[in-house]
Amino acid sequence: MHHINIPIARSEDLVIQELAEEVLVYDLKTDKAHCLNQTSASVWKACNGENSITDIIECLETQMGNEVPEKLVRLAIDQLNERNLLSEKVPQNFAVENRRQVLKKIALASAIALPAVYSLVAPTAALAVACSGIVTNCIGCADGTPCDVDMDMIIGMCVGGFCAGD
Amino acid sequence: MHDDLRPASPTIKFEAFGVRIAIAGNCPPILELIEKRLPKIAPGGFKRLRNENFDHSFFIKEKPNENLFEIYKNSEKIEWWKDKERLLEYLDSQLRITIAEFAVSKVFIHAGVVAWKENAIIIPGNSRSGKTTMVAEFIKRGAIYYSDEYAVVDDKGCVHAFPKMLSIRGIVDDFTQVDFAPEDLGAAVGIKPLPVKMILITQFEENAAWNPWKLKTGEGIMEVLPHTIPTRLNPAFTLKVLSLMASRAIIAKSVRGEAKLILPVLIDYLETEINKADSEIRI
Repeated sequence: MHHINIPIARSEDLVIQELAEEVLVYDLKTDKAHCLNQTSASVWKACNGENSITDIIECLETQMGNEVPEKLVRLAIDQLNERNLLSEKVPQNFAVENRRQVLKKIALASAIALPAVYSLVAPTAALAVACSGIVTNCIGCADGTPCDVDMDMIIGMCVGGFCAGD
Repeated sequence: MHDDLRPASPTIKFEAFGVRIAIAGNCPPILELIEKRLPKIAPGGFKRLRNENFDHSFFIKEKPNENLFEIYKNSEKIEWWKDKERLLEYLDSQLRITIAEFAVSKVFIHAGVVAWKENAIIIPGNSRSGKTTMVAEFIKRGAIYYSDEYAVVDDKGCVHAFPKMLSIRGIVDDFTQVDFAPEDLGAAVGIKPLPVKMILITQFEENAAWNPWKLKTGEGIMEVLPHTIPTRLNPAFTLKVLSLMASRAIIAKSVRGEAKLILPVLIDYLETEINKADSEIRI
């Protein structure tokens, strides 16, 4: 059984695309895309199931040539954990409501970039060509009635310029 | 499959970007109109098919008693229309989305595309985000027209022309689109695939100044992804193509004011950044 303080990066059902500085990860189970900045990506890659938090800090310090605060690594692990990018959930290091304070402290103490993971749900094909998601952008409905732009109601979705139902 | 949904004669069969589509119906006059619209539906080129094989089928079922047309896609009813012109416009849009989603070896991004001095510029965005306005302003200033709807990107990260008519709003009213041939606006249409030199992430905001900042490759891809059609169908290929495209491009983000007012500033920025990037490559 693996130790709870040794995080392991998830590898199943993911598409991973390495970039010069960042890593893109696509979760095939949830159709979510994540962009890990350099710091998060380094932490994620160091989560090999053998490295303890101390080892991960050392890995990062070697890579970045700077001192790395433990809180920064723990914060990165929290972010990865929340996005299901670890193979098993690990205990949360910081409560969400304290994050901002922690971030401020780390930002002041650290010379390296704060960890960041940007995420979004990949759109379906129809939504990728949709208007802003509200019916006021639509040219009209199937029965020929034009959309009433004065109605402050979201009653449908505009897909390719057409109403896609209520 | 319901008997009357089987594509039977008369049937239009064509292939575009490797996607084979059959369109059948019980209303020959409508099918004739669709046939005539094929160049508009698949502006990147299409060929008619003679064999029986197809990947997707559409069926137009006229119901004279109810005075309407039902549209089926792969045997599933997807919409109905009373108005013929709306039916045809809807079908155009559905056919193009189908091609965009299932295109072989290409990634379709909902975006405007022009080439400025052999440099492809793509402007991803939602409908009504001002893509066409930007494209129209670019071509008025001498840019080559590639598309006002889709950036078609190949597995080398190069963008191909998808030169549909420019659909411009604001002539009849704010919602109705009027189609213009690019040539009517004095534009030449791109022929060869080009590497993407700049990705503009921008949205209209009244009186906003063009004040761009550059995004890293991954950040840029996350901005493009919401407008990328086949992501769910083929995420590995999509990410690979987007990475190839974005890693060679300058990715600039800013809100913008009226297209015609900001275009001179934007072109100045574009040329400066492209020269800078080219000289960095030479060094």
